[in-house]
Amino acid sequence: MAVCSAYTTQSLNSTCSISTPAKTHLGFHQKQVVFYRRSSKRGGSGSSSGPCVITCSAGDSQTVVIGLAADSGCGKSTFMRRLTSVFGGAAEPPKGGNPDSNTLISDMTTVICLDDYHSLDRTGRKEKGVTALDPRANDFDLMYEQVKAIKSGVAVDKPIYNHVTGLLDPPELIKPPKILVIEGLHPMFDERVRDLLDFSIYLDISNEVKFAWKIQRDMAERGHSLESIKASIEARKPDFDAYIDPQKKYADAVIEVLPTQLIPDDNEGKVLRVRLIMKEGVKHFSPVYLFDEGSTISWIPCGRKLTCSYPGIKFHYGPDTYFGNEVSILEMDGQFDRLDELIYVESHLSNISTKFYGEVTQQMLKHADFPGSNNGTGLFQTIVGLKIRDLYEQITSSKTAAPLEATKA
Amino acid sequence: MATLRLHSLTATSEKIPTSPFVPSSRVLSASFHCNEKRVSKRMTINAMGGGAKYKGTQMREKQLSEMIEKKVTEAKQVCEGDETSDECRVAWDEVEEVSQAKANLRLRLEVEKKDPLESFCLENPETEECKVYDD
Repeated sequence: MAVCSAYTTQSLNSTCSISTPAKTHLGFHQKQVVFYRRSSKRGGSGSSSGPCVITCSAGDSQTVVIGLAADSGCGKSTFMRRLTSVFGGAAEPPKGGNPDSNTLISDMTTVICLDDYHSLDRTGRKEKGVTALDPRANDFDLMYEQVKAIKSGVAVDKPIYNHVTGLLDPPELIKPPKILVIEGLHPMFDERVRDLLDFSIYLDISNEVKFAWKIQRDMAERGHSLESIKASIEARKPDFDAYIDPQKKYADAVIEVLPTQLIPDDNEGKVLRVRLIMKEGVKHFSPVYLFDEGSTISWIPCGRKLTCSYPGIKFHYGPDTYFGNEVSILEMDGQFDRLDELIYVESHLSNISTKFYGEVTQQMLKHADFPGSNNGTGLFQTIVGLKIRDLYEQITSSKTAAPLEATKA
Repeated sequence: MATLRLHSLTATSEKIPTSPFVPSSRVLSASFHCNEKRVSKRMTINAMGGGAKYKGTQMREKQLSEMIEKKVTEAKQVCEGDETSDECRVAWDEVEEVSQAKANLRLRLEVEKKDPLESFCLENPETEECKVYDD
């Protein structure tokens, strides 16, 4: 059964066109016809004349929704780029729209930035004395309504938060993709939104690593100094600990980034120890393991068959509990220097949901320029991307299987 | 090939090690320490072909850099009274927001090697923002 709804949207461009998205937008699983009307007067702000969109969606098609919690703003996310790359195609901002949009769209995925659901812009937050981390600065009702709508196949007009001006810009149209990723500070904060997520990830950067990264990020900026960088982290910490950090326990996968244990007293944050904490019993998600599932393994791949340069690579795998949940933890300390180290490691991991031998290595090489490509951050982000692809395929195949069974009976 | 052009009185250039925000050690970055108050602070980084192509992106980079400086000064002033006050926390949060926005922009230019205004400017080549930056 198909459901059709009609509504008007605002558009920044006033051009006349009739588009047939079935051909051009392969990732959208709904039939949609868009009519644009050329505005007769220029500068008619606030008028209700705009494109009229009629959307029809099949009742059984659903968008898979992934949540990613990260304190690193939106649009950068190398994680997102790795993820969309696993599905094929590059993620780009919506064409022809607001150039300051935070949204990324590829063939299969759309990534929206949760900063777009700020209820208070920069001035508003200053007046009320709340940081962006504070739930009071965000409209969770709208977030829930819109994610729910997209998940059920209905396009929405999503606000845009402009990080350059600090203002809320006119909304942009988001059409339901095959996979929707919501990225930001609070994807798992609101219980209703949490229940919509098919899979959730939390990127947990330890304080030392955060400090080292922010130094590298900001020291080239005139205006910043070690003191200002430190002060900024310290000032945000109370709100971060109160509102953001508690989301960890809800995540299906946590990527924890810590300083290395291979180099004593290392404080440069270059060599990293990365832990992939995977919840057990999550539907459509089977944790990655080393050698023997459920056992505890300590593994140094460097030796007779593989020569590594300093400081080498060290793996650990084992079951554990995390905030009361049963988890499996895969940990990597050190960095990859050569291709053969990477392929060697890949060949010893199990349940990585690759479609062919060497797929992880291939994905890592494809983005060798991305940060983290030589350590556990890149490796685990790539693996999580493959697990999400696997999850998506399981969900969509189970949906097509159900109607077939219904017709048989 | 990476080239670096500096217009300033004194400049030091240092290699920044691998981090999520400066991905490749092949990219050179320069920091300026200017003694004069009003010096033209134009910095062009042409590394591997990455860099702002359109005037609009150039403007955004400049705007964000200036905002970082301004907001750090503001935050220091506001926090002098009470470091635990709401105003102090909000001030440093703003510093983080603009620092992150600047870093995101830089990362997009350097890693993706594409100007974020590319698709917008294809459709609106006549706007002020879409004038090609000429060096």
